[in-house]
Amino acid sequence: MKRQRQIGELFAGGVGLAITLGISFIIAVILIILLSKQPLTTIYYFFFGPFTNKYYFGNMLNTAIPLVFTGLGIAVAFKSSMFNLGGEGQVYSGALMATVILLALPEISGYLGGPIALAAALTTGAVLAGVSGFFKMKWGTDELISSFLISAAVIFIVNYFITGPLDDPGNSMLATYPIGGQYHLLGIFPPSKLDISAVFAIIVAALVFFLMYYTHWGYEMRMCGLNREFSRYGGINVSAYVILPMIISGALHGLAGGVAIMGTYHMAVKEFSYGMGWNGIAVALIAKNNPLGVLPAAVFFAYLDAGATAAMLHSDVTFEIAAIVQSVIFYLITAQAIYSLLRRRKRTRP
Amino acid sequence: MNEQSFTFPLLHNAIGIMTPFLLAATGGLFTELAGMLNIALEGLMLIGAFFSVVFAGLTGSLVLGILLGVASAVLAAALFAGVSLNLKANVFVAGLATNLLASGLTVVLAFQLFGNKGVVRFDIPKLPSLTIPALARIPILGDLLIGHNILVYFSWLIVVLAALAIYRTPFGLRIRGTGLGARTVNSLGLRPRRYQLAGILISGFTCGLAGAMLTLKLSAFVPNITSGRGWIALVAIYLGNKTPWGIVIASFIFGFAESLSNFAQGAINIPADFILAFPYLITVLAMIVYSIWRHYRTRL
Repeated sequence: MKRQRQIGELFAGGVGLAITLGISFIIAVILIILLSKQPLTTIYYFFFGPFTNKYYFGNMLNTAIPLVFTGLGIAVAFKSSMFNLGGEGQVYSGALMATVILLALPEISGYLGGPIALAAALTTGAVLAGVSGFFKMKWGTDELISSFLISAAVIFIVNYFITGPLDDPGNSMLATYPIGGQYHLLGIFPPSKLDISAVFAIIVAALVFFLMYYTHWGYEMRMCGLNREFSRYGGINVSAYVILPMIISGALHGLAGGVAIMGTYHMAVKEFSYGMGWNGIAVALIAKNNPLGVLPAAVFFAYLDAGATAAMLHSDVTFEIAAIVQSVIFYLITAQAIYSLLRRRKRTRP
Repeated sequence: MNEQSFTFPLLHNAIGIMTPFLLAATGGLFTELAGMLNIALEGLMLIGAFFSVVFAGLTGSLVLGILLGVASAVLAAALFAGVSLNLKANVFVAGLATNLLASGLTVVLAFQLFGNKGVVRFDIPKLPSLTIPALARIPILGDLLIGHNILVYFSWLIVVLAALAIYRTPFGLRIRGTGLGARTVNSLGLRPRRYQLAGILISGFTCGLAGAMLTLKLSAFVPNITSGRGWIALVAIYLGNKTPWGIVIASFIFGFAESLSNFAQGAINIPADFILAFPYLITVLAMIVYSIWRHYRTRL
């Protein structure tokens, strides 16, 4: 009986997701027909462009990597009923911290600098988000607003360092000095930018899955997410699970920034990480906060970006149509009406 | 440069700069009181900014531009409301979607219509400035209050109307009731969803005006011209303790901070980015202090 209901839920969820994605694709086609003078070419590149050569395909997967980390970060927080809206600032400051460490370390430290930089990025994100969790635990300050505000302030401060003291006058961009070549992550799919961090992302997703579903901490976090009062009654130290999910969430966001610097950008460019935090929320929602589901959800989000990029390069539309299609998904992904409609229909048949 | 000549334009500009914050926050107050976190202010403002200047350019009329720009923002708000209220999507996520839609749509349309993803200039008349003699006679403040453009005065009118609507009408009472307990409102035979819809549409209206002010002042559209102003407006609602007069003060603080950062470049040795970060830090501090105060008060 219970199993049947679970399958029914899964079915409703799957069909609901398919409807959402189907509508977004239909809107993409309509947009292209309206905007493009050669709609067939545009549609071809928008949907199939990312698969036409190794370069596009690899870059698509590479775009997905930071989204895996931010999506995981959001999933952990949401599963525990905590809201981390500071993703943007946590990614960006993590990236800056990694860059600063790698620029400051003497060349002799060799490969050791990499892990140190990633640890620093991780810590930065964890502290920024953890602070919001701390205020929530101590005085009940709304973590949703406070994490957003702290992140918004931090973004400006990071901007200052990138365009001020760390700005490299040698390049025409608003960017820091480049990090040393020994810190570049190994490319695994030339000629694209895809690097070894893809493997790292998969491992981290598996670890987060393990943490949430097979450990004591994960169990208690999920219980607190389901019902905090009941968990308190059951003897769980609920105040600890106000901070812990935020720390893990922030750490994963910071990691996203550090990995993006070492794998793809090799220097902190002003506002390079814009959207990674917000899109992580969409990725987590598509994945229904399941850590393993985050992997395909992130690739899907990256696919829309890659499709729009290919369509822009080979046809006459601009990249931003991806944003419109993504917004349609955003609009519908949490629409309860679609899912409850499906569930109701299922229930009427005994 | 003497003290007097520096302070006056600083304050005078602050009053102009605060207006988009004030408008968006006043509209957002209605959704906030109706119990919904409206993060779509940013996107609605951007929609208003784009369409008002484009329509003003096409029709050659500022009035038509503002009307159609505001209508576009209200339409976008209706979409936001339809998805969050009728399809029962998470309000926060639907708000994010609205912001993403606005930033994508405006750039796509600018590219399609003008073949340009950068700054688009329009040959339109300037927003008329007003000098209201009655205001000029107010001692000390008089000079600061005159010579602003017409939308600034309109925003003051809107704040007064909003305060009256919220505290002196059944409509306002019901909106506040919806935020406190939608079920209670429902048990009185009213439909809370209607008041939430009204709140969202009002925020669309004021955000449209706020956006119009940004682009019509420049006679140009700059991609992402709102650059976080909608978020600051949301912050102003919290900092203003969810009252219209509090919002006026909070908006002025933000207007003053931005005005200061415009003047500070060269005059004071603080990086502009730090000044931009300042309003957010102030607000988060205010929030923490407020929650500490509440925490210990409920304990006693």
